[in-house]
Amino acid sequence: MAVIELEGLTKDYGEVLANDDLSFTVEEGEIFGYLGPNGAGKTTTIRTLLGFLSPTAGTARVLGYEITDERALIEAKRRLGYLPDDPAFDESATGREILELHAELKGDERSEELLELFDPPLDRQVREYSQGNVQKLGLVTTFMHDPDLVILDEPTNGLDPLMKQRFAEFLRDERDRGVTVFFSSHVLSEVRRLCDRVGIIRDGRLVTVEPVDTLLDRSGKVVRLHASDPIPREVLEFEGVYDLETTERDENGVAECTFTFTGDVNVLLERLRSYVLLDLSIEEAPLEDVFMRFYGGGDDV
Amino acid sequence: MFELSRYEGQTRVKGGVYLSIGLATLAALVIWVYPSFRDSMNMDELLRAYPEPMLQVMGIRTMASLEGFLAVELYTFGWVILLGLYVAYSAASTVADDVERGRMEILLSLPISRARVVGEKFAALAVPIVLVNVLTPIVVLVGAELIDESLSTVDLLVVHLLSIPYLFACAGIGLLASVVFDRTSIAQRVALGATFGLFLLESLLADTDYEVVGAIAPMRYYDPNEILLEGTYDPVSAGVLLAMAAALLVASATWFTRIDVD
Repeated sequence: MAVIELEGLTKDYGEVLANDDLSFTVEEGEIFGYLGPNGAGKTTTIRTLLGFLSPTAGTARVLGYEITDERALIEAKRRLGYLPDDPAFDESATGREILELHAELKGDERSEELLELFDPPLDRQVREYSQGNVQKLGLVTTFMHDPDLVILDEPTNGLDPLMKQRFAEFLRDERDRGVTVFFSSHVLSEVRRLCDRVGIIRDGRLVTVEPVDTLLDRSGKVVRLHASDPIPREVLEFEGVYDLETTERDENGVAECTFTFTGDVNVLLERLRSYVLLDLSIEEAPLEDVFMRFYGGGDDV
Repeated sequence: MFELSRYEGQTRVKGGVYLSIGLATLAALVIWVYPSFRDSMNMDELLRAYPEPMLQVMGIRTMASLEGFLAVELYTFGWVILLGLYVAYSAASTVADDVERGRMEILLSLPISRARVVGEKFAALAVPIVLVNVLTPIVVLVGAELIDESLSTVDLLVVHLLSIPYLFACAGIGLLASVVFDRTSIAQRVALGATFGLFLLESLLADTDYEVVGAIAPMRYYDPNEILLEGTYDPVSAGVLLAMAAALLVASATWFTRIDVD
């Protein structure tokens, strides 16, 4: 069953077309990553799905309820958790007071369990919270009523690495319990760790929706290598190597270079085995490069 | 129902108590200075020395009795003007501040309609509006006793009771500004300007050919002089004020339901 369905969803601000004819579905029990550079229109989609913005054209359903019908959407919100990209709570209230208000309005099934995982200082006023603590409080309010669907806008903002890891494990466990997760991010590595499927948006338009494995195969890695002696150029010219750039070279070959690699890393390592390397790094390609590589640099997506 | 009102009301208790202490202090001051005014000069002669527009704006009829003195110095100045402006200003931040600071998103992600958000926030303003009317009448009654002046307890209580619909009507002006403008500072300025403008409109146009224009001002329907000096109360006026407050609330809720919350 589709938990979120977009049908030609469009939001036109006049000077900016923030969302242009978006259509895709998020299936029950999956973690769907909504990926795109900052300013691509991710937050606009999320705000429209939650009824904060009214679409200029098209429509969408969340948990089967029309987003343009306020009453219907309220029903959906009983089973939905939302964490904005920059969550803000009443600064003069303590975390505990905020949880109490949320509990009264939408119920509280599991805040105790969540507070063991994410532990914001409940008895302090929110104005004294660090960004990470606000985020933790936000995670508790998002999941406390045991929603069927959670919508998270850049959820790992402000979390330290340990919390990020704990959050990732938590999210996978939630998915395994049947919760559907829709989250936006501009960080490819975060999406690859967590998501089952990915939708990519750029300049308000949907570029592709595909399983994360497919995307990763296509996006490739950035390889930097530094050899003690030059490696013949032919060795580095095989399938999966793109954009070879050398910083140190002579007629014998290249000693220092970077390239994008979309093939099997084992094949690459096999080829390099007989050379003495000073350094080698294989990293995720930056998101912008992924866009450039597969979808063109201009507006001709 | 009213979970949000209860929450917002609690956050307003502290401010309401301070406000109430401030106005009770003003009341004590007005009563404290009254005997020296009464004994040292003929108050009605003093009034004749004031320019006519000033008397009209302040709604001054007489200051030669404690009732008249209170009606001007405490109720017209403190309640009609100061408190009217304060509640309008305070109401102006209710919605706009949450929108501006990004708190509205989380609130609206809860299963609660926008109209209910507006309505419950408005209802929470009852906390300062009621609190401010609790301490002052006690101070006034005790004060009058101390300076050996008689004062009708019933009239005094009515002045306070009927100020409640008046203050809600002023709060309604602020509320409307709060949903129309998503920047708090602008909403507050508009609310203050509109409330004070209505006050001037009503008082300056009284007894002119354009008096009817003043009918849109809440100040037309709450007159401390009439209550304290003549002991006459007009339930219809109170009804008009409640209707104004309700109309402003409905308009605000309708407006807020239709806009994009960014």
